[in-house]
Amino acid sequence: MRFLTALAGLGLILTLLGLTACSRHDSRARKAAREGILLVGNGTEPKSLDPHIASGVTEHHLIITLLEGLTSDHPVEESVVPAAAARWEANDTLDEWTFHLRPEAKWSNGDPVTAQDFVWAYQRLLTPSLGGEYAAMLYLLKGAEAFNKGETTDPQSIGARALDPLTLRLTLVGPTPYFPSMLTHYAWFPVHPPTILAHGKIDTRASRWTHPGNFVGNGPFTLKTWRFKHLIEVVRNPHYWDAATVKLNGIRFLPIDNIPAEERMFRDGQLHLTETVPLDKIEHWRTKQADSYYENPYLAVYFYRINVTHPQLKDPRVRHALSLAIDREAITKNIMKAGQSPATGLVPPVAGYTGPGLVKFDPVEARRLLAEAGYADPSTFPRFDILFNVSESHRTIAEAIQQMWNKNLGLNVGLNSQDWGVYLDAQQRLDFNVSRAAWTADYPDPMTFLDMWTTGNGNNMTGWSRPEFDALIAQARTIRDTSERFTVLKEAESLLLQDMPVIPLYIYVRNYLVSPAVTGWHPKLLDSRPWKHVGLQVDPPSPHTP
Amino acid sequence: MTDPHLASNSPRSPWREAWRRLRQNRLAVSCGGILIAIVLACLIGPLVTGQTIETQNLDLGATSPSAQHWLGTDPLGRDLLTRILSGGRVSLAVGLTATLVSLLIGVAYGATSGFLGGRADAIMMRIVEILYALPFIILVIILIVVLEPVFKLPRMAWLVSLFGGEGQIKLVVLFMVIGAIEWLTMARVVRAQVMTLRQQDFVSAALALGVPKWKIILRHLVPNCLGPVIVYSTLTIPAVMLLEAVLSFLGLGVQAPFASWGSLIQEGADNMETRPWMLVFPALFFSSTLFCLNFLGDGLRDALDPKAER
Repeated sequence: MRFLTALAGLGLILTLLGLTACSRHDSRARKAAREGILLVGNGTEPKSLDPHIASGVTEHHLIITLLEGLTSDHPVEESVVPAAAARWEANDTLDEWTFHLRPEAKWSNGDPVTAQDFVWAYQRLLTPSLGGEYAAMLYLLKGAEAFNKGETTDPQSIGARALDPLTLRLTLVGPTPYFPSMLTHYAWFPVHPPTILAHGKIDTRASRWTHPGNFVGNGPFTLKTWRFKHLIEVVRNPHYWDAATVKLNGIRFLPIDNIPAEERMFRDGQLHLTETVPLDKIEHWRTKQADSYYENPYLAVYFYRINVTHPQLKDPRVRHALSLAIDREAITKNIMKAGQSPATGLVPPVAGYTGPGLVKFDPVEARRLLAEAGYADPSTFPRFDILFNVSESHRTIAEAIQQMWNKNLGLNVGLNSQDWGVYLDAQQRLDFNVSRAAWTADYPDPMTFLDMWTTGNGNNMTGWSRPEFDALIAQARTIRDTSERFTVLKEAESLLLQDMPVIPLYIYVRNYLVSPAVTGWHPKLLDSRPWKHVGLQVDPPSPHTP
Repeated sequence: MTDPHLASNSPRSPWREAWRRLRQNRLAVSCGGILIAIVLACLIGPLVTGQTIETQNLDLGATSPSAQHWLGTDPLGRDLLTRILSGGRVSLAVGLTATLVSLLIGVAYGATSGFLGGRADAIMMRIVEILYALPFIILVIILIVVLEPVFKLPRMAWLVSLFGGEGQIKLVVLFMVIGAIEWLTMARVVRAQVMTLRQQDFVSAALALGVPKWKIILRHLVPNCLGPVIVYSTLTIPAVMLLEAVLSFLGLGVQAPFASWGSLIQEGADNMETRPWMLVFPALFFSSTLFCLNFLGDGLRDALDPKAER
């Protein structure tokens, strides 16, 4: 009897909930749209908002709202437009670039943006004791590598000079035709020196300068709120030089790492933009609600890092066996199902570049290699783990690969899922066996996928090192002719794939949902988002709600 | 002379009385029946379905229930029935083992505390209260995080191998942690029972005869507490299974490709809109098991309580 009463009560509560849901005609996204505030699902909690500490795509989406580099992405096309620099010129050999800053550009506290701020920022990122993951990106600057590796302590030796407060001269190690497109990455962004020095030293990693109220930036927005694991809100920066172009009053970034929950929030009118779409929902959105669904090519590759310091995995034959035992086609065709393509190499198709295409599926050869490495009886191979950050799709892929390695090689593999921060730390400390990873191009050139594997690069995180590879990358940096440079890069990629410290899996496609209320949304190959051109329609045509 | 009730002039044993009362409780009996059916299915099922929990069929993918796969398949093409049944093994094993651990600790602790009384009792009960005050889930999570590396040490390998190798470390830790935490209420129940018993004449007699204290506890007190202990154990099993489900839901439970009902429900919840069968069936198995255990526990309590006799 008590049970029946409870059941009736439950029914009543559910009915009431249903009624309130029906009577709520104004969704959160609509209300926010009227206030000019964009609600963005941003994947996960960022590790840091400090451009010299951050290394992820999540952080990238946030930092470009708060800081602005010399150039920024064109809102529609795959090219760059002037940003903090009004114009620039290069010498004939393309290794000396002079940037003329905007006199009207200001920091969010009203200070003018000067060439010295850029020079100081580069010096900070290159300071060895800071340990910035992206320091190696600045090795393009003359003297930067020596300074970062502690061979010299003279900051004057770095090829970045402030000729006067508004003129910045960057001297590079070699001709770099794609240099302006590289500058859109936050590693090249300026920071406000007095702010950083007020909250710590030049090399303080966990500084409070990135907290709301402290953060001083030169971007179109400023930091208003940062509630851990809950919300980051940025609002319009009145001191921004191009404030008239900025359409939004603010953006709220919500760290939602549960993909199905994010999609439900979007449908419920709580988000304007999602980070991704759950695998099982792609078909539905693609066919039924194509006006909100985006499926864009994306210069990014999904791969597994291998810890080459691991006692068994240090044998390249074992690593090749692991790679050959993965049926990539089955993963893209049956699990991902959203237009991804199986990887044949580490570099996704970049205009003009064809990789060596050494990666394939061959279980027989895989078994042979494993036997050759001394594991004819695979049960003697010690158990190891696949590390990945918490996510339904990473888990599904890892389970599929776990099974492929078991079936094709007879190996016993465990799974280990960790929170984003823990996962990043574990990779950095080389505290893993095999780890899921993905790399998004920082600029549209094969170099962005290859130079990270050089010795000591902060993003290498495999323990792998080959002097020949380092030499090829250094050589490529000095070649001006594109096709000649690509030949050298291809050689470097072959070398990398011969040693296989990474197992490329598939080339990305980006699937995500955008509310029809969002205006000025143009998908870009690098998923860079020129936020200042994005707007909101106050009363959007909404075909989904009656 | 055929009526057994009239026939027996001899005193009936309380256990047989309890059994008779339990049989009269139709709800408890049918719940017990369902429970036995589920347990048998979990034990035998995975051997009969002709599939293993790991057999993937990527070309097939997720399909709704069919003649081939009675309860459908998951996105990796694994047979859901097999996964649910072998998941049931894990969930039931966690329930039983953790309850057993909590039973041993709880009964020993409660009986000692209740029998000794005085200052020892006060200190022991304050310890229990302090443990009660700690946030439960957080404590479990911390213990899992701390204990897991301990079990990965080479010198713990023998213990791990007892439970089926390295892949099961998380599971072993889970058994221990839940058991080590669930004993608190059990200790209180037993202590209260012992405190009333020790005033009784047969204990005084044993004391007067010079029987050692540990022997009194073991011989006289514990057997007499058995009724409430059995009842409370049947109610602990579902509580423990629920806790295991919660932990698996949070990703702290069993390790893939193994599944428990909790982890299956979690996977199902992520897919519930497009593949409802992935949520409905594991949830059905899980909730009916919990239901049955609870009703059975209720029935046992009524049956074992002599005052319940009309």
